[in-house]
Amino acid sequence: MSIRILTIEDDERIRTAVRFALEDEGWNVLEAETGEQALEEFDSMNPDVVLVDIGLPGIDGFEVCRALRRASDVPIIMVTARDDTHDVVAGLEAGSDDYLTKPIAPKELSARIRALLRRVKSENTGSSPRTVGDLDIVPDEGVVRKSGTEIHLTKTEFHLLCELSDQLGKVLSREHLLEEVWGYDYFGDGRLVDVHVRRLRTKIETDPAHPRHVVTVRGMGYKLQP
Amino acid sequence: MSSRGLPWRRLPLRTRVIGAFTLGAAIAALVLVVITYGLSRQSMLQQREESSERQFFANARQVQSSLRAEDPDFTQLLESLPSLSGSRSIVRTGDETWTSLSLTPNDLPPPLVSSVLESSQAKTMRYRLDDQPVLAFGLQLRPSNASALQGVAYFELVPLAEVESTLESLALILLVGGALTVLVGVGIGLWASGGLLRPLTDISDAATSIAHGRFDTRLEEVSDPDLDALVSSFNEMAAAMETRITRDARFSSDVSHELRSPLMTLRASIDVMQHRREELPERTQQALDLLNDEVVRFEHLVQDLLDLSRSDSGPMEIDLVNIEELVKATLASSEGVVPLEVSGNAEGALVMGDKRRLAQVLDNLLRNAEKYGDGPTRLTISSSGRNIEIAVEDSGPGVAPSERELIFERFTRGAAARKRGTGDGAGLGLALVDEHARRHGGTARVEGKPNGDSGARFVVTLPKAGRR
Repeated sequence: MSIRILTIEDDERIRTAVRFALEDEGWNVLEAETGEQALEEFDSMNPDVVLVDIGLPGIDGFEVCRALRRASDVPIIMVTARDDTHDVVAGLEAGSDDYLTKPIAPKELSARIRALLRRVKSENTGSSPRTVGDLDIVPDEGVVRKSGTEIHLTKTEFHLLCELSDQLGKVLSREHLLEEVWGYDYFGDGRLVDVHVRRLRTKIETDPAHPRHVVTVRGMGYKLQP
Repeated sequence: MSSRGLPWRRLPLRTRVIGAFTLGAAIAALVLVVITYGLSRQSMLQQREESSERQFFANARQVQSSLRAEDPDFTQLLESLPSLSGSRSIVRTGDETWTSLSLTPNDLPPPLVSSVLESSQAKTMRYRLDDQPVLAFGLQLRPSNASALQGVAYFELVPLAEVESTLESLALILLVGGALTVLVGVGIGLWASGGLLRPLTDISDAATSIAHGRFDTRLEEVSDPDLDALVSSFNEMAAAMETRITRDARFSSDVSHELRSPLMTLRASIDVMQHRREELPERTQQALDLLNDEVVRFEHLVQDLLDLSRSDSGPMEIDLVNIEELVKATLASSEGVVPLEVSGNAEGALVMGDKRRLAQVLDNLLRNAEKYGDGPTRLTISSSGRNIEIAVEDSGPGVAPSERELIFERFTRGAAARKRGTGDGAGLGLALVDEHARRHGGTARVEGKPNGDSGARFVVTLPKAGRR
């Protein structure tokens, strides 16, 4: 079954050009002009990756992100015309897995999509179950339990947790995590890691303000501990 | 030098305020000490003199009356005279002299003796006897009838040591009091200058804060009418500036959006066409290449423009960056091969910086060498003192010394760029190099090749991150 990619973009010319480029990669491209339309038809489209433009008329890209996140853990790439810290962090906080800044070269876009798809697959070939303090992680099933209760993580958050638990107690740099979890080379954006760690903490920590499991090591990176 | 250049004017305001208070206190204290001491001394000495004088005349009268007796016993008389605070007496008749205990005739100063004998008035004299201050009185006595005694005089010596020591204590107390007054003056000066300068410090803090990008900084309203005008005009200025900066920022981000969207369509469409390049006739392929080159140029231009507008105000993503890794990663993502030389002491050097902006600095230098310097020939990383130097060398025509500063300005292009004549570049690339370098606390410059060969050497200097 071919991969389905939903692009939510109000500019018809961009939408068409992006569709052509992505179809050249052999992917199936679905389109939505507004956030409302995308949310309405999301279930029937059932895409593998969603591309959301931030500057949509009506409900904006951040809101679309949040609404999609409530319903699904589909990988979301946010497309922004600005790479200000504010927009990037707001988009990541809203639940997107990655972001790209216009003008996006199709090569870069397909590389990002491939990285997200690879990530979704890799969890199924993951390693053995493990217990970290009150957390039970089962990579094969994509399940995390905290004191026996299942916690819902997005695929990126889950992959981040698995990566940290693979090297329990060892400090992993942001560069390392960007490469392993997002597939970025040297120029990945560290804010991706920071925001995802923050989101992961709100889900797995008893007191996210004073994390016990995912600990920041200043100037070095992050580590997971029981 | 004008009168504004007087040394006093050149001192800091705070020092001047404290100095004025100190000087004022010192003058006040000095005047007070001098007047108090002078008046006290005068009144104490006068008092002592008056009481001693009364005693002296009383004693003199007694000696005078004893002269009526024939052959008076002066020794006994002198012992019977009342003594005021250790005063001692001497009686002199012609060539005989009687003294109280512990006195000798030589203890009288001859000038006093002669002036007393020449006059019928009482004489006084102050002098030092055995190193002690003494007040001496003398009066010539008139023996009754035709007594055998001639030139009879009575003297009395009153010690002033006690008065003097009291005056010394007083002087000491006054000096200590004066010093304390000066200290209090300094204290008040410190306090007053603090209060006086605080509004200025506040304004300077606010201005610094604005300069660092916190444009919503305002001064607190004050009730002082003198300061209120300053505070409100400062706040008005800050508000006007904030409005303007926000408007500019919004404008540039609006423009960015407007430019980036069509650029994205262009980029994607060209890629789709490149994908089918083989299906196109040769002439169309050439046209496509032209289109592609122009879009690449356009992309760089838009990126540089946006970065320049952002570098004025935008925050940086500061990380600890390994320069060697950064340079290698940038070279890996750029076209062409440039030999990289890292000198030993620069290996593993770290700087605090924004990875992407530093990469852009390097990228722009490489592009510059590519376009105007016949391609980069060498890239070096070296350490010099507290700085790291990254240099890109080319073998092009080089940059004339007169243009070496100019080419780092916005929309300025060097002779080499103008000669190409194709309008290739807008003169933003090097401006961005300079601004990014400066925002990292470093510098950018261009020089000739060290060995005198033709070509340019662009050097970016960045401060090393402190060891942790």
